[in-house]
Amino acid sequence: MQYKDYYETLGVPKTATHDEIKQAYRKLARKYHPDVSKLADAETRFKEINEANEVLKDPEKRAAYDQVGSGFKAGQEFQPPPNWDAGFEFRGGGGEAPGGFGSFGGEGVDASDFFESLFGARARGGAARPRRNAAMQGEDHHAKVLVDLDDAYHGAERSISLRVPKEGPDGRVVLEERRLDVHIPKGIRPGQHLRLAGQGAPGSGGAPAGDLYLEIEFKPHPAYRVDGADVYVDLPLAPWEAALGATVDAQTPDGTVQLSVPKGSAAGRKLRLKGRGLPARGKGTPGDLYAVLAIALPAADTDKARDAYASMASTFAGFDPRRARGG
Amino acid sequence: MDESRHLALRGSVVEDELALTTFELCRACNASEEYIEMWVSEGVLQPSGGSREQWRFTGQALTRMRTAMRLSRDLDLNAPGVALALDLLDEIEALEARLRRRSG
Repeated sequence: MQYKDYYETLGVPKTATHDEIKQAYRKLARKYHPDVSKLADAETRFKEINEANEVLKDPEKRAAYDQVGSGFKAGQEFQPPPNWDAGFEFRGGGGEAPGGFGSFGGEGVDASDFFESLFGARARGGAARPRRNAAMQGEDHHAKVLVDLDDAYHGAERSISLRVPKEGPDGRVVLEERRLDVHIPKGIRPGQHLRLAGQGAPGSGGAPAGDLYLEIEFKPHPAYRVDGADVYVDLPLAPWEAALGATVDAQTPDGTVQLSVPKGSAAGRKLRLKGRGLPARGKGTPGDLYAVLAIALPAADTDKARDAYASMASTFAGFDPRRARGG
Repeated sequence: MDESRHLALRGSVVEDELALTTFELCRACNASEEYIEMWVSEGVLQPSGGSREQWRFTGQALTRMRTAMRLSRDLDLNAPGVALALDLLDEIEALEARLRRRSG
């Protein structure tokens, strides 16, 4: 396991005060919070920042971390000495684990091995929960599921894999993999939720299990862009097709359709194919498909091609594309 | 493989088929009723139904509520701060959708 330099993660010196740590954490948390940040690695960064803060903001954990970690550098191979934490008492039998994000079910189950080895089972928020004897319905769980655009057009059955926190006999929470076969309903839209009754956490004392909520996200598609129920696709045209009008084949997730392009079409013009977006669900209406026109220029790589362009230039001698665009 | 296919779970699409009651939203978010009421009074959640007992929440409210809870916990924001952040995030989302419609 690798040593983690929590001071480096927060960008503060080892002598930083409590307030300086708080300040540094807040600033980084705002920058990398996965609900706010568009950075690709935001989620990973945010977890690291949170974990560092969890240790450094707590005087007892910080003291323990400082003692065991002095002399190590980030990334260095690390094993905590046996009984390293003797003499440290972590408040309340273990504080909160770092705020896990995007983890399945409860919070705080995504700490690094390094954190685990130091603050281990006792620091697990989940394990500290009192045992319930009364009949109590299980908690609802949440997970995100990535589906293909094609699944939403036609409906599909997909096998998904979830990481579920489970309390072992020693009270330690471990992540267990759970596979579920789920029917993806035709016409589902990005951001919508599927509720699977009784697939959440098991209940206690004979009470029913909680529900599982799956939030649907679409995998990015190389050709299609989805906006609510509408789907957008680029449609490249030759200059003469755009200028003179043409009937062209356009690819849609439902197959190829013939599309008539009006003469004098400019790049960026959208042609709507009504009802060819995501299919309707129930009594709803289907989305539309928009073909966004683009002009593709043939290469001027032969004499003949160059002549053709040159002849265009002389034909359209008065044409000033800068002025035509109003720029 | 074929056998498991027959057992595929069928869920309900929250947005189309369900309207969550306050109780269901509480359970889904692991939050108290008072907490939900606070977000309603802040304007972050806008349930349909006149009285508190008749409130119904959409699947979008579920997403919004969970985001609000993460923001207030992780960034230590108060409710008006979260409400502002959510409004700004909505605006960014709308602008990005406009960009997506143009070209990719």
